[in-house]
Amino acid sequence: MPASFESTAQDRVFDIVIGADLFAADWSNCDRISNYVANLVSQRRTDSLRYANLFSSVLNELLETAFRCHHAQGEIACTVYRSTLHDCIDLSVPCDAAIREFYESAVTKASQPDAADRFIRMMLDERPFDPQIGLMALAADYQAKITLDASVGNRVTISVGFVIDEPAQ
Amino acid sequence: MSFTVRFDANNQEIMLAGAMRPHNGDELIEVRRTLDHALNSVSGTLYLNAKRLVHLNNAGFHEIVMFIRRACQQKPTLRIVIITSSYVGWQERKFALLRELSPYVVIEQYDKDFYPGQSVLEDSGFIPILRTQTKLTWRHERSILPRHGLQPGMKIADICCGIGDFAVLLYKEFQPARLLAIDHAPQSLAYARQVAADFGVEAIEYVQGDAANLLIDDNLFDFVTCRHSLQIFDRPELILKELYRICKPGGRVYITNEKNSHCLGEPRAESIQWTYNEVAQIFAHFKMDVELGPKSHRYLIDAGFSNVQVESFMVTNLDGDPQDFADVIAAWESVYAGQMAAQRGDSEEFITRFRQGFQDHIFAALHPKGYAGWPIWVASARKPG
Repeated sequence: MPASFESTAQDRVFDIVIGADLFAADWSNCDRISNYVANLVSQRRTDSLRYANLFSSVLNELLETAFRCHHAQGEIACTVYRSTLHDCIDLSVPCDAAIREFYESAVTKASQPDAADRFIRMMLDERPFDPQIGLMALAADYQAKITLDASVGNRVTISVGFVIDEPAQ
Repeated sequence: MSFTVRFDANNQEIMLAGAMRPHNGDELIEVRRTLDHALNSVSGTLYLNAKRLVHLNNAGFHEIVMFIRRACQQKPTLRIVIITSSYVGWQERKFALLRELSPYVVIEQYDKDFYPGQSVLEDSGFIPILRTQTKLTWRHERSILPRHGLQPGMKIADICCGIGDFAVLLYKEFQPARLLAIDHAPQSLAYARQVAADFGVEAIEYVQGDAANLLIDDNLFDFVTCRHSLQIFDRPELILKELYRICKPGGRVYITNEKNSHCLGEPRAESIQWTYNEVAQIFAHFKMDVELGPKSHRYLIDAGFSNVQVESFMVTNLDGDPQDFADVIAAWESVYAGQMAAQRGDSEEFITRFRQGFQDHIFAALHPKGYAGWPIWVASARKPG
């Protein structure tokens, strides 16, 4: 993980806002939105197809997590930032106290050094999914830096910083 | 995009394809049935082929993890080979975790030994000659392409773009709305990107990919080109299926291929003829069909295309600088006689005679009254709809 996630100047490249009820009406929205955004933000990348495929995987993890855990009232907002070193996705979801607690717990666990081990343990568990698994996957598969902003009363914003290696230009 | 899971009992291979992003395990009951059926019927080695699996979410991955765990419990010595693709970036990271389930779980990346002659034909020393070849063929194709439906402003995909020089020429001549150029060789793409940057051409998207498993949506391009490539893959029909898929209904696919045994020259025609007959044989030995050119008509019809157009042209020493032609032949001699014949285990006597034909072809090309030719077949066809 680059040490400079916070210190690098970032360009805001994409925003999407969708009603939580509309988003939650169909599971395939996660896949559709992931691919749509990924195709847009992959323009002018050295290998646009590879980049879009990886970006879609990251965003889909976040959206699937939000699909499983959000408050029914309000909007889900996704913002994509880019710097020369890394990409960042902010996903803001409406929440109540229980949902806030869920994300605080998940982000704390995903930020620990044992996040990859935790992901494997969750994956080997035969019980129904713990919805926190998406954030663990981001930490395990993409060494993503995940933070949470819960400063606004009825919303939480999960920020995922990650690096997609690209072929040399 | 949906996903498919198929089991090929003959090869003990489970093939996963598409985007496997279910909501939960309940959507995977049929998949589980297929996987368990496969497990019950195999012994020794089971192949789990994920090279066409474009996306996989946690619910899907969980199903695979649970399957492998069941397999390890039920058949502890079963070797499970998971075949991944380097073009699908998440696969290596994700599937690496599966190694922890058992020492019998092996991850193999599919992109090695991609086609039979890969090590020879992708030698970086071959790059200058590829550029010369494109220079020679472009003189003809520049005027041929519009006859096969290419117009300015189209969305074009150049599959198996190699070092990307044809794409640059296409871009300059036809100003496409989009030009995506794909090859599987990173060194060729690096060269292509460098050349495009040097020439100030920024609009070409050079991306890495497998021509038989393209990470491209269906029906995207007006014009899809694939030049001199079907002839070096051992299963050209798989590539044609992908060319068909990514082409828009009503769009056209354009392919070029050779028939090496028809290379010719005067004087010394007999020696030249013998050598190029042997070229065809040596490629056949390495499971490549450099006689494919005239078969293009059949291949395109079999792939489901309509309105097939076929023509041929002859690159000759009279097209431009005869030395260019001679340089190409010298490079062929180096690769075909210097490397491929040696790899096949041919005798010194054979190789000497084999080389002589190339030398005679060069002689014909450079002779003031000589004539030397390299025939190429162009075929294009329309995707119905």
